[in-house]
Amino acid sequence: MNKIFIIAKREYKAAVRTKAFLVSLILLPIFMGGGLLVFSIMKDNVDIDNKKIVVLDYSKTLGEHLLLTAENWNKSEIYNDKGEQIAPMYFIEIIQPDTVNPFQQKLELSDKIRKKEIYGFVQIGANVLHPIPGDEQSRILYFSENSAIDEVRGWISGTINNKIREIRITELGLAQEKIKDLFSWVNAEGMGLLSVDSKTGQVIDAKKTNEMQTIFVPYVLLLLMFMMIMMSAVPLLNAVMEEKSERVAEVLLGSVTPWQFMMGKVMGSLGVSLTTSAIYITGIIFTLGKMNMTDIVPFDVLPWFFIYMFLNIIMVGSIMAALGATCNDSKDAQAIQFPAMLPIILPLFFMMPVIINPLGKLATGLSLFPLWTPMIMLLRQSTSVTIPAWQPIVGLVGVILFTILSVWAGARIFRSTIILQGKRPKLGTLIKYLIKG
Amino acid sequence: MNVIELNQITKTFEKNTAVDHLDLQVPKGSIYGFIGPNGSGKTTTIRMIMKIYYPDSGDIKLFNDGQSVNLQDRIGYLPEERGLYKKMKVKELVTFYGELKQVQNPGREADYWLEKFDLTKSANKKVEALSKGMSQKLQFIITIINKPELIILDEPFSGLDPVNAEIIKEVILDLRAKGSTIVFSTHDMGVAEKMCDFIFMIYKGKKVLDGTLESIQKLYGQDTIRIQTEGGMSVLENIQGIERINDFGQMQEIKMNSGADSQKILTEILAKTKVSRFEITAPSLHDIFVRIARPEKTEEHE
Repeated sequence: MNKIFIIAKREYKAAVRTKAFLVSLILLPIFMGGGLLVFSIMKDNVDIDNKKIVVLDYSKTLGEHLLLTAENWNKSEIYNDKGEQIAPMYFIEIIQPDTVNPFQQKLELSDKIRKKEIYGFVQIGANVLHPIPGDEQSRILYFSENSAIDEVRGWISGTINNKIREIRITELGLAQEKIKDLFSWVNAEGMGLLSVDSKTGQVIDAKKTNEMQTIFVPYVLLLLMFMMIMMSAVPLLNAVMEEKSERVAEVLLGSVTPWQFMMGKVMGSLGVSLTTSAIYITGIIFTLGKMNMTDIVPFDVLPWFFIYMFLNIIMVGSIMAALGATCNDSKDAQAIQFPAMLPIILPLFFMMPVIINPLGKLATGLSLFPLWTPMIMLLRQSTSVTIPAWQPIVGLVGVILFTILSVWAGARIFRSTIILQGKRPKLGTLIKYLIKG
Repeated sequence: MNVIELNQITKTFEKNTAVDHLDLQVPKGSIYGFIGPNGSGKTTTIRMIMKIYYPDSGDIKLFNDGQSVNLQDRIGYLPEERGLYKKMKVKELVTFYGELKQVQNPGREADYWLEKFDLTKSANKKVEALSKGMSQKLQFIITIINKPELIILDEPFSGLDPVNAEIIKEVILDLRAKGSTIVFSTHDMGVAEKMCDFIFMIYKGKKVLDGTLESIQKLYGQDTIRIQTEGGMSVLENIQGIERINDFGQMQEIKMNSGADSQKILTEILAKTKVSRFEITAPSLHDIFVRIARPEKTEEHE
């Protein structure tokens, strides 16, 4: 039996038999889905605290409209059919603007907000009905402690602008009933592309695209790849360091070559990540099947996922094992861990730009950088956009070459440092080992 | 046939030359003892034989029979500092190393050796639950599980109690009787004298002794007196012809000056005290070791 396989088998068993493995198997989807879960919970969890808003109405008409709309709103929009409050009540108080000392008035109102006596105040300019560019009186200003993002601003803005439109239409002398659809907005619906059924030859109509397909699928695949690297390849740094410091390494080297030792550990990690990812992907497909949503599963991308993951674990695993061999204790390993992980974390920062524009120069360039190809190219392939067929192939060739280089370099450093004790070798020394072997 | 041949091998770490133009031939079926003070280059030499380190210059030939494939399966290696997978069970660990060493039936071999070393009861215990002595026996088992042709042991007896040391010594001799070649390093000169066919001493990376105990002792001649007297150490002071005295309490070992007359020394001692033992002999390996690597000499070199 091949010695690499024997070591890999031991590593695999040692990893999957632990409680830590089972715990991480359960925690990983919670971690992955946690963001989406919190988002979906928070989406429905609106602020329902009642809010008192003071209006400084220089227009002399719109403040009144705001008051009436708030009264109607409080009557009809606050409770759902079950009698649960689903929206905040708005209490509008119109006060006379102080034209002599407006700043003093606004300061006093600001202090009231700070004391929680009111929630906010609005200043409606005199000329907002027919605004003049650059004119201070053509603005609507909303003041509150969280004015940039709170929902009240949107409500005030919408209410006032609806009234402004109404007034303008009336001024034009048009009958309300005739211009019902004047402001009705027709959305352009996102559609996929039409295709031909390879069996029947019939044209298959395009399906409507959605956010789930566009963002969720690439997000999950990228995160799964990232987590597999973090779960399997990165821990090799500490595992090798421990075997070195506990003197297991030299005993093993009596039976295997440093190359077999390193590759055995890497292949064991690969086995763990293949098992884990297979469990997750099967689980996701099964769950989506139950929800009749299997059409969002990118079956054509899944083989690429496994090919990239296979190479990525070997590539990163060899580097991590070699770096682990240079460390003598956990302090050394801690010092080196973050810089070593940085190149693996960086692609995550480019996730959204790549999803938004998968064919852009940035996305294409990053996806052809071998260390990032497995993550960025996969991300591009899992979007609904068709990327040029040559790019995944060129990317794959690059990854294969880079993997060979990583294994070669890793093995040289591993062999030179796995027994060495004392000070951790500096970069110059590592380069010397790399050249000398 | 030589099992190991080292030709002018040199290994340098940074600016320190650990092994300096070393030559060695280990004949098949022999027990070869490596001695030398700490840091003299024994472990580095062993690691080069094991191909864990590569020499900067010189060459190493193993077995010399043209079969260069799977050299590691023909060698059993027990390093000086050894660790085991603590979470593995004892039999599982032995079987794992048996598989690595390409043993035909590793499970059966594991049972055999565990029984021989009285570890059968611990077969299903985790390694971390074993005592130090049991761990050392386990380490020895995984070294010799495949009954290798060449066994290299770096300090095999260090830390062992006399009973366990005796068991391991017996197994080593048994393996030699069955054709294995044994190389081991030791600081115990008594063990080296009693067990080794050949002794090889390395000092500051260079070979300083190599041969049978007899041939090494011949180099030094009969320049040593072992003496037991009623007066002990005090009566040996101020006697002409004595270069150095090594006091063992009940017995003293005297190194005579070159050309000194042993009978004259005996007469002088008899004039002072009653002598119960007077033996003119070659120096012991311990004495030779100390003569070569005594502290003042080390300081001179440093």
